[in-house]
Amino acid sequence: MNIIILIFSIILIASFGLSNLIYILISALTTYLAAINHKNKHKKLIFIGTIILNVSILVFFKVVTFNNFFNLVNNKNILIPLGISYYTFQVLAYLIDVYRGKIKPEKNLLNYLLFVFYFPYLIIGPINRYNDLSKTLYKKKKLKKDNLFNGLIRISWGLFKKYVIASRIALIVTTITSNLNYQGAYVLLALLLYSFQLYADFSGGIDIVIGFSKMIGIELAENFDSPYLSRNLKEFWRRWHISLSSWFRDYLYIPLGGNHCSKIRAKINIIITFIISGLWHGINYFFWGLFHGIIVAFQGKPNDKYKTLKIILNFVIVSLLWIFFIYPDTLTSFKMLGSIFTNLNYLNLFNNILKLGLDLVNIIVLIITLIILIIVDIKHEKIKTYLYNKSDEVKLIFLGSMILLILLFGVYGLGFNVQDFIYSKF
Amino acid sequence: MKKYFKILIIIIVFILCFIFLNKLVSPKYQTNLIEGHMIKEYYKEEKNHEVIFIGDCEVYANFSPLIMYKNYGITSYVRGTSQQLIWQSYGILKETLKYEIPKVVVLNVNALRYNEPVSEAYNHLTLDKMKWSQEKIEMINNSMLEEESIFDYIFPIVRYHSRFSSLTSEDFKNLFTDNNVTYNGYLMNKNIKPVTNLPTKKILGSYTFKDNVISYLDKIRQLCENNHIKLVLIKAPSVYPYWYSEYNDQVIEYANTYNLDYYNLLEKAQEIGIDYNHDTYDGGLHLNLYGAEKLSTYFGDILKNNYNLTDYRLDNHISNIYNQKLSVYNKNKGDE
Repeated sequence: MNIIILIFSIILIASFGLSNLIYILISALTTYLAAINHKNKHKKLIFIGTIILNVSILVFFKVVTFNNFFNLVNNKNILIPLGISYYTFQVLAYLIDVYRGKIKPEKNLLNYLLFVFYFPYLIIGPINRYNDLSKTLYKKKKLKKDNLFNGLIRISWGLFKKYVIASRIALIVTTITSNLNYQGAYVLLALLLYSFQLYADFSGGIDIVIGFSKMIGIELAENFDSPYLSRNLKEFWRRWHISLSSWFRDYLYIPLGGNHCSKIRAKINIIITFIISGLWHGINYFFWGLFHGIIVAFQGKPNDKYKTLKIILNFVIVSLLWIFFIYPDTLTSFKMLGSIFTNLNYLNLFNNILKLGLDLVNIIVLIITLIILIIVDIKHEKIKTYLYNKSDEVKLIFLGSMILLILLFGVYGLGFNVQDFIYSKF
Repeated sequence: MKKYFKILIIIIVFILCFIFLNKLVSPKYQTNLIEGHMIKEYYKEEKNHEVIFIGDCEVYANFSPLIMYKNYGITSYVRGTSQQLIWQSYGILKETLKYEIPKVVVLNVNALRYNEPVSEAYNHLTLDKMKWSQEKIEMINNSMLEEESIFDYIFPIVRYHSRFSSLTSEDFKNLFTDNNVTYNGYLMNKNIKPVTNLPTKKILGSYTFKDNVISYLDKIRQLCENNHIKLVLIKAPSVYPYWYSEYNDQVIEYANTYNLDYYNLLEKAQEIGIDYNHDTYDGGLHLNLYGAEKLSTYFGDILKNNYNLTDYRLDNHISNIYNQKLSVYNKNKGDE
C-alpha cells in the first residue's frame, strides 16, 4: 500500500510538470542525506548547507513568482513548484528535529520519500511533523470500513465548505474587490465575508486532506480548532493554521530566543516571527504580519470575562486585517481599509445588496450555511463523536444528503469561475 | 441480511432523490426557450412519415408539415433544432431511422458553413431532451465546447443546479408531464417584423466547406443510400445569415456529383410569393406563419410531383390523426 501511495504521489506530482518532481526530489534527498549524517564530523556544515539550500530554493521561487517582483528575471514562464512551501517546511522541521536529537533519522529511503511525497498535503498542507505522521504513515495499511466512512464524512464536509459556502461568498467578495469604487461599508462587508470564505475554503481543503488520509488509515494533525471562537489574537494563532503557526513557533520564534530573554526582546521576537510569516505569504503581506505581530506581542493571556464580546471584537480585528489578502497591493489595501471609517455608505449597501453577485435566495442559503458552519465549529467535537459512532446506515444517510446538498447548492460548473483553494497559492 | 437490506433501501432512496433533483432543475422548455422541447416531441409521434426534414431553425420555423398534409396529403416531420450542426443532423437522422424509414429526407444546407460547435446553449437546446443512445453520445462528444463536460449532459444537476434559486411553477407543473410546442416539428410564430436591411456580403477568409463538414454530409448521403431514401438538399429562403454564392456553388457541385436534388428556395422567394415585409417575424432570419405556409405549399408541390409520395388524406387512420392536429393548429393560428 505504501509503495502504491508513493508511486501514485510521484505520478501526480510529475503530472503537474517534471520540474515539480525534480525540486521535491532535491529537498527530499538533501535532507535525507543530511539527516543520516547527523553524527558526521562535518555535521554543522552539512546541516547549515542543507538548510540554506532548501530555504534558498523556496525564497527564490517565492520572490521571482511574485508579481514580477524586482523584475529580476522574466518570470512569466516560471511557476512555483507544487507544494514547495509545505514540503520545504516539512523537511526542514524534520532535519532540525533530527539535529536537535528529538527524533531519530529515517534510514529507509522509501519511507522517507513517502513522508515528503505524500501528495494530499502538497496543495494546502497541513505541514506534518515526522514524529506524528510516521506513527500511522508507515503502519501496514488495511482498508477499514469505519475509516472509509469517517474519511468520506470528513471529505463531504470539506467539499460542502468549499463549494457551498466559500465559493458562494467569493461571488460577493470578488464583485466588491474587483471594483475599487466599492468602498466603505462594501469593503467592511467583503472583509467580514472573506473571513468566512477563507476559513471555509482553507479548512474545507484541510478536511479533504485529513478525510482522504483517514480513509487509508493515516492520521493527520488538525490544522484548525474553531479559530474564530478565540478571545484574542494570541489564542487565534494557536487555533488557526496550527501546523504553520507551530512551525514558526518551533523553528523561528524559539531559535530567535522565544520568551527566554528580556520582555522587550521577546516581543521583538514575536513581531519578527509574524513579519516573516507575512512575507512567506508574499511581499504585500508585510503589514499583515507586522500588525498581527504587534497585537500578539502586547496581548496577555485571554480570560473568559466578557467572552462573547471578546470573541466578536477579535473576529472584527482578524477580519479587518484580511484586507491585505483581498486587494492586490499594500497601498490599495490601506486606502480601502481607511474608507471603512470615512465612507459611511451603509444605507447605500443595504439598497444594493442584491447587485453584488447573489440573489435573495442565494443570500438566504448563504446565511443558513454560515449558521450551520458556526454551530459545527462550536460543537465540532460532539458532532464528530456522534457521527463517527453512529451505525453505517446513519453515516450513509449523512453522506448521501451531503452529496445532494453539494450538487444542488454548490457553486461550481459552467458559468462559475470556481477558484483554486486560496492557500494553494502560498 | 436486515442491515444490507436497509443499506440497499437507503441507496435506492438517494438515487430516487438524485433523479428527482435532476428533473427538477432541468429546464422544462415549455414557456421559455421552447426550442429545447422540439427534439423530444418526435418520440411521442406515430412514426409514419414519408418525409423527414433535418437542419437548423431554417427548417423548424419555415416548413409546416400540417399544411403539406392539408394541401397534398404528405406525411412529414421536421426534426430541426436550433443551430443544428451537420454532425448533429447526422445523429438525428441516424436516430430517426431506428424508428422509421421515410421516402425522402430533406436537409437544409445552411449548417454546412459551420465546422466548429458554435454555442453551449444551442448544444443543450438540441441535446438535452434527446433520448439516450449511441448517436446522442457521439453528438455530445462532437458538439461540446472546450469548457463543457460530458457530465453537464449526463447529469443535468451539474449544469443546471444554479437554477434552484429561480425555479418557477412551470418547473413543478411540468416535472413529469409536458405539452407539445410544435406541430410535427413546426414552431409557429405569428409575429410580423419586416426585413428592413438586407445582409451585405462580408469578405471571408475562406468560402470552402471544411473536410469535416463534407464528411458528415457524405455520411448523411450514404445513410440515405443504404436505406433507399431520396436525399434532397435545400436552402431555405431565410435572408439572414448571408448565403454566399460560393457556398451555393459548392452545394450545386456536390448535388451534381452524387445525383442529388438541390433546391435553393432563397432564389425562388418571389415565385413562392414570400413578402419579406410581412412574412418574417424577425427581420428576415425566419419566416412567420404566413411565410411558412406559402413556402410549405410551394415545396409540398415539389415533393408531391417528384418523389412519388402517397396521399394520406385518403387513409382513415392517418387522416384522423392529422385532422385532429390541424384542428389544434387552426385554432392556435386563429382560423377558428
